[in-house]
Amino acid sequence: MGIIWFHIRKAFTLFRSEVLVLPSRVAVLVFVVALLVLPVFTQDPYLLRVLIFTSVFAIFAASWDLLSGFTGQMNFGHALFFGVAAYTSGLINVHFKVPYFLSIPVGAFAGVLTGLIVGIPCLRLRGTYLALTTLAFPIILMGLVFSFPDVTGGELGVMGLETLARSRIHVYYASVISMLVLTSIMWKITDSNTGILFHAIREDELAVRAGGINTTRYKLLAFCLSGFFAGIAGGLYAHIMRTVGPSTLEVSLSFQVIIWSIFGGIASIYGPVAGVFILFPLAEVLRAFPKYRMLIFAILVLLTLIFMPQGLIPWIRDKIEKECPRCKVRSIATRKTCRICAASLD
Amino acid sequence: MKRSSVFGVVLLFLTLVLCSGFHAWAADPIKIAIVGPMQFTQGEGHWNGATMAAEEINKAGGISVKGTKRTIELIKVDSNEFLSIPDATNAMELAISKHKADFVMGGFRTEAVLVMQDIAMDNKKIFLGCGAAHPELCERVTKDYDRYKYWFRITPINSKHLVAVDFILLDMVAKAITKELDIPKLKVAIVAEKAAWADPMVKIAEGKLPQMGMEVVGVWRPSPTATDTTAELSAIQRAGAHIIFTTFSSSVGIPLAKQAGELKIPAAVAGINVESQKDGFWKATGGKGDYGLTVNTYARVKITDKTIPFFDKYLERYKEAPNYNAGTYDGLYLLKTAVEKAETLEADKLVPVLEKTEVTETAGKLVFTKDHDVTWGPGFVTAIGTQWQDGKNLCVWPNGWQGVKYEGTVEYKVPPVMVEHYKKKK
Amino acid sequence: MIQEIIINGLINGSIYALLAIGFSLIFGVARLVNIAHTALYMTAAYFILIGLDYWGMSAPLAALLAIVITTMLGLICYQLVIKPIREHEGAVLIATIALAMAIQEIFLIGFGGHYLGVPPAATGYLFLAGVKVAKQHLLALGVSVLALVGTWALLLKTRIGLGIRCTAQDREVANLMGINVNREIMMALGISVAMAAVAGVIVAPLRVIDPHMWMEPLIMMLAIVVLGGLGSIKGSFIASYILGFTEALVVFALPMGAFLKVTVALSIMILALLIRPEGLFGVVFEEER
Repeated sequence: MGIIWFHIRKAFTLFRSEVLVLPSRVAVLVFVVALLVLPVFTQDPYLLRVLIFTSVFAIFAASWDLLSGFTGQMNFGHALFFGVAAYTSGLINVHFKVPYFLSIPVGAFAGVLTGLIVGIPCLRLRGTYLALTTLAFPIILMGLVFSFPDVTGGELGVMGLETLARSRIHVYYASVISMLVLTSIMWKITDSNTGILFHAIREDELAVRAGGINTTRYKLLAFCLSGFFAGIAGGLYAHIMRTVGPSTLEVSLSFQVIIWSIFGGIASIYGPVAGVFILFPLAEVLRAFPKYRMLIFAILVLLTLIFMPQGLIPWIRDKIEKECPRCKVRSIATRKTCRICAASLD
Repeated sequence: MKRSSVFGVVLLFLTLVLCSGFHAWAADPIKIAIVGPMQFTQGEGHWNGATMAAEEINKAGGISVKGTKRTIELIKVDSNEFLSIPDATNAMELAISKHKADFVMGGFRTEAVLVMQDIAMDNKKIFLGCGAAHPELCERVTKDYDRYKYWFRITPINSKHLVAVDFILLDMVAKAITKELDIPKLKVAIVAEKAAWADPMVKIAEGKLPQMGMEVVGVWRPSPTATDTTAELSAIQRAGAHIIFTTFSSSVGIPLAKQAGELKIPAAVAGINVESQKDGFWKATGGKGDYGLTVNTYARVKITDKTIPFFDKYLERYKEAPNYNAGTYDGLYLLKTAVEKAETLEADKLVPVLEKTEVTETAGKLVFTKDHDVTWGPGFVTAIGTQWQDGKNLCVWPNGWQGVKYEGTVEYKVPPVMVEHYKKKK
Repeated sequence: MIQEIIINGLINGSIYALLAIGFSLIFGVARLVNIAHTALYMTAAYFILIGLDYWGMSAPLAALLAIVITTMLGLICYQLVIKPIREHEGAVLIATIALAMAIQEIFLIGFGGHYLGVPPAATGYLFLAGVKVAKQHLLALGVSVLALVGTWALLLKTRIGLGIRCTAQDREVANLMGINVNREIMMALGISVAMAAVAGVIVAPLRVIDPHMWMEPLIMMLAIVVLGGLGSIKGSFIASYILGFTEALVVFALPMGAFLKVTVALSIMILALLIRPEGLFGVVFEEER
């Protein structure tokens, strides 16, 4: 009994001293709790639907960040992973009646394989070459989709997939919880040694190689990991939509994910997630001005970029939090001294 | 204790009945959501056709349900389906759950309509399809009647029947050319956009054309959004085709017609070319698309008594001829008839009534088949063939087919470029 | 058959060359991946339409106006949007995407999603080696060769060109040597956008004008630029014709697969990159690690 009490108290202290002290952590907490309890207050099917797609695309955007934000391997054709996984899960679900809890992982695995296939030739390429080459892959695949309409259904896609769940609430929880879990995993990965190496590759690949590290292997790993998470997003999308069409491979989707991520702030995982959670519902809110919707959207993105080229979230974070010059721990901006080492801030 | 709870239940029940009954008595407008790509011609057609019908019906007092007259309130929902499928599904959800639409109408891109159909069916809302021709949409009704029975297709006719019309038109063109130019064996170039709906068309054409006494010189499958078809046209000309048999629903129909006109390819362009159904086609091709023939839905011919007044009114108001998505006009009138007969807006009661409804509207006599598709055939909706002749899109078919000829139909003209080319040769 | 492939390849290639060379130039000078490049090409196409249809201008005047307005617009957009964030590579990237989207939306709002067209400056066709070629296409061919020669002369024979080349080679050193780098970039951008505008003006009469017409050429243009080697103008020129011929070849050799022409072109690009990662004539920017 005492031990349990001790652990509860310890958890509480930890919570108070590590979570409540930083506004960004509080914001994340509020965000997670709000998402989880939302259906208690409203079960509006439209709202839930928007949030379901937002969650799926949040996974997708975070997976782009894992690859492009962290390792700096600009991927202009991220829809490839999404589309491959969506088609794979769709096809095996429809033709072989594989249930969704298997077809989504298989789709994700297909994403990993695609990551490998695309990653290997792309390893020789850098920067803009890489970006523009990756753009080509989903388009090539789209050509194949149209070439074999008997299998892929051509422009109609694969129809009649099994739903995740009959009720909207279940689908909502399935996608929101997958989003929370997967983005936490991605965030943990970037926080690990691997993630630090990813970051280092982006900053100075030559230096990392000089440090005796096989950067090729890490870049390939980034491609595979990113393919995996994007693949799960694709599989989820397929089962929520219940059809998979060539729109999952379109250039506009690849561009969209870049916009979401860079808008939110790359190399942070939470940035792209926030980017999707701001921009995707925003596009829905803008339905009030149907004609000017996308124009307002584009102009808002442009304005945000001009004033906060690092992305929205890092900008806000820098405004409300300060980093201690001595111990690199972040404190709330109102503090005069660091919360750990008491060094003077600013 | 027990008695009070029973009492409570009874009271609750009574309130519910009263409320629901009250709801039916109050003359709320009937909400109809028009879902379509509103920034594009297709969506404009949806909206314009529906607006005209709704205004006319409202002016006449509305739709009478159980003795009360109820007006129509249209809700414009932009599906943006050409650019984003999630957008389309969100729009559908919005129409049903936020705007509380009683009926939904519209849809164009099949990939999007399939998903939107599912949402409407989940909510048991009657969805009148106006725009997507794919058979699957109606086959679903047969496969799973209880789920998909709320779907009905108003326009266009099923693509299976489009094929039939297509070949009748081709036959007509072939006969006209043979008669005028005395070419023993006609050569046909099949040009179809690379899309699933066009695949069966190509297969059938390859099998059927030799039986019809024509030679297939090649099959070209450009991308639906190709912007340049010069290479294809060079190849077609080299093959010496007399007829370019088109199967297009997307933008590629314009550059092909335009460039064929620019290069004066001596061949008759005939088949399906959705872009050439629109008035804008003439301007888009700079008049180069003259003499192109396409399967169509509306032209200024007397398909029924209602067609010409509708056509003229539409033309006057929107400065262009209606395209087939404007079938929402017919859809609203059909709905009016059915609702007045069923005396209810309840989807489950309305479905059997809709199944039996027979009305004569602008596109012909609308009767639904077993799978909730619009019936095709003489006496029903036939679709028409229209040819551009000096800047006017005129009806050239049916011209006596199965005894059907609509007032205002003209004869098919062999393109003068072709006449010139082959007369000179002799 | 062979004449047809050659002539169609030349036509395709020359239009791509006009687009790709401009893109390559500004990339070389400012390291700017301008996704909005073809959106500006679309802008010119719309402006020639506006000039002809709404303002009732004569064709040459409308063409000139379209080119001038588009160029100005390109420069203004650069000053307003790109310049403040030039240091942030990612931000520039989506800024140009968002810019392209904004341009697309403006035309979508103004003209709807309708397919429009303008009459060609040169109507009719000629026989070239027994193949019918639209005069407008010949014009495109001529103009693209002219533009190329012009750009070449400008870059190699004039002081302006010298400045641009200096900046392209090493921006910092150029700056240290007293070259106004910003002016050189504006200059290069002006040339680049003007070339896109010329392409738009020439192609508009032969194709369809609609708010999404920038997507397809964008992809081909990027493929060409990568294949030819980023920043290499000669490479872009040659790659334009390689992919132009490829497209024509696909249509003739595989009529059933005409829709695959973009796919095949992109596959060739990837195969070529496997062998030469820096493109055919690319320069390896080793200092930019």
